[in-house]
Amino acid sequence: MTTVVDILPHILALLGDGALTAAQIAAGAAAIAFVGGLVLAVVNVFTQLVAVRLAIAAYTEWMRNVPALAHLFLLYFGLASVGVRLTPLAAAIVGLGLVGAAVLCDVFSAGLRALHVGQREAALAVGLTPLQALRFIVLPQVLRLTLPAIGNYASQLVKDTSIASAIAAPEIMFFARNLVTSTFETPLIYASAIALYAAIVLPVSWLFARLERRLAAAGGMGGAR
Amino acid sequence: MIAFFAIYGDYAAEWLPRLVLAARVTATLSLLGFVLALVLGAVLVAAQRTHVAALRRAAAAFVQFVRAVPLLALLLALYFGLPSFGLTLPGYWVGVLGLGIQGAAYVAEVLRGGLDAVHRGQREAALAAGLTPLAAFRFVVLPQAMRVMLPPLLNAYVSLLKDSSLCALIATDELMLTARAMASEYFLPLHVFVLVGLFYFAIAFPLSMCSRLLARRLGRGRRTLGTNQG
Repeated sequence: MTTVVDILPHILALLGDGALTAAQIAAGAAAIAFVGGLVLAVVNVFTQLVAVRLAIAAYTEWMRNVPALAHLFLLYFGLASVGVRLTPLAAAIVGLGLVGAAVLCDVFSAGLRALHVGQREAALAVGLTPLQALRFIVLPQVLRLTLPAIGNYASQLVKDTSIASAIAAPEIMFFARNLVTSTFETPLIYASAIALYAAIVLPVSWLFARLERRLAAAGGMGGAR
Repeated sequence: MIAFFAIYGDYAAEWLPRLVLAARVTATLSLLGFVLALVLGAVLVAAQRTHVAALRRAAAAFVQFVRAVPLLALLLALYFGLPSFGLTLPGYWVGVLGLGIQGAAYVAEVLRGGLDAVHRGQREAALAAGLTPLAAFRFVVLPQAMRVMLPPLLNAYVSLLKDSSLCALIATDELMLTARAMASEYFLPLHVFVLVGLFYFAIAFPLSMCSRLLARRLGRGRRTLGTNQG
């Protein structure tokens, strides 16, 4: 007769492996989302071409109004049927990354639009090129302005990695489900998994809250929007 | 490209009725979950505004905790864990429960923000004019708070609707599970998942647009980088 004490280390070890995979998925997806979202937002706000703005809007609306699970199924099962075989891990990273790019595109677009025009006008007036004005004047302020939204996105992303278990990516929920079928310690395993997620997500949101406070204090412009 | 769309012509008659039926399950599932989220959210806000410190702290802790847990973990824990405690619910009702709990944490923040946005002078004036506290809330505070709350509440429903797709993983015959079954039945996953994506989009997009239009009407009159482009 095995007891909870015997089996708990085994459970935690496997869930810990899952957490490492979840971290990989989150990191990869965050990188795609951040770069993609920033580029899309800058193009979106500064382009004069209506067609480009429409294309970006179509992309973000499709990504944001369809469940992430559908995107993962499309990438994993859908693409495989036309010969593009992604591993579960790759499909999860690309899928969550593409969704995140749409989310952050909207966040950064709103941030760019919320910034007073005078910031950019003054930068151009003192002789900065448009690209320099963007890099040194506009974007730093936009990042600070949008930090709360980026923080929300980050903790949402960590939670969304759980969806990758639906395409058999070996993350936390995937191991949890396997453990349940092999040990039958159902409540213990799911309680451990939930505690593990909370142990990752809470520090992430605290980190962003701290960063927010520090940057707001340092710049003295936190409330200027 | 044309061959891709021709498939839909061939199978529309078989696929659409099944997906429409599943869409109705998704609709009731997400609506019931949202109603539960509204009720629980209101209870949480009421708890956060009482004078009982323990109640306030419990409500705040609940919101923090729920926001740190993925919906899928919650759904699987309820679906597979509750039977260990002698309570077996069908996937559909576990879905309503899970979506309601998850949504409540978000809805509570929205409700709180909306109520905080109404200047307290409004309530004081209403009471001074002789309204009962309940009437002051119902006819003075709530209508003004509603203007602030409506756009984020619509967004909350949209994300709840999308999240309801996770109920496919606890054996609920909603859109996503139906789509998975059809994808393996017809060996056409790309077509099926694009189509099911369109189903979600058709419900979620109009609501998202409504939310944005409402929010824009409330936030007029600031000169910003985006002003030129409306």
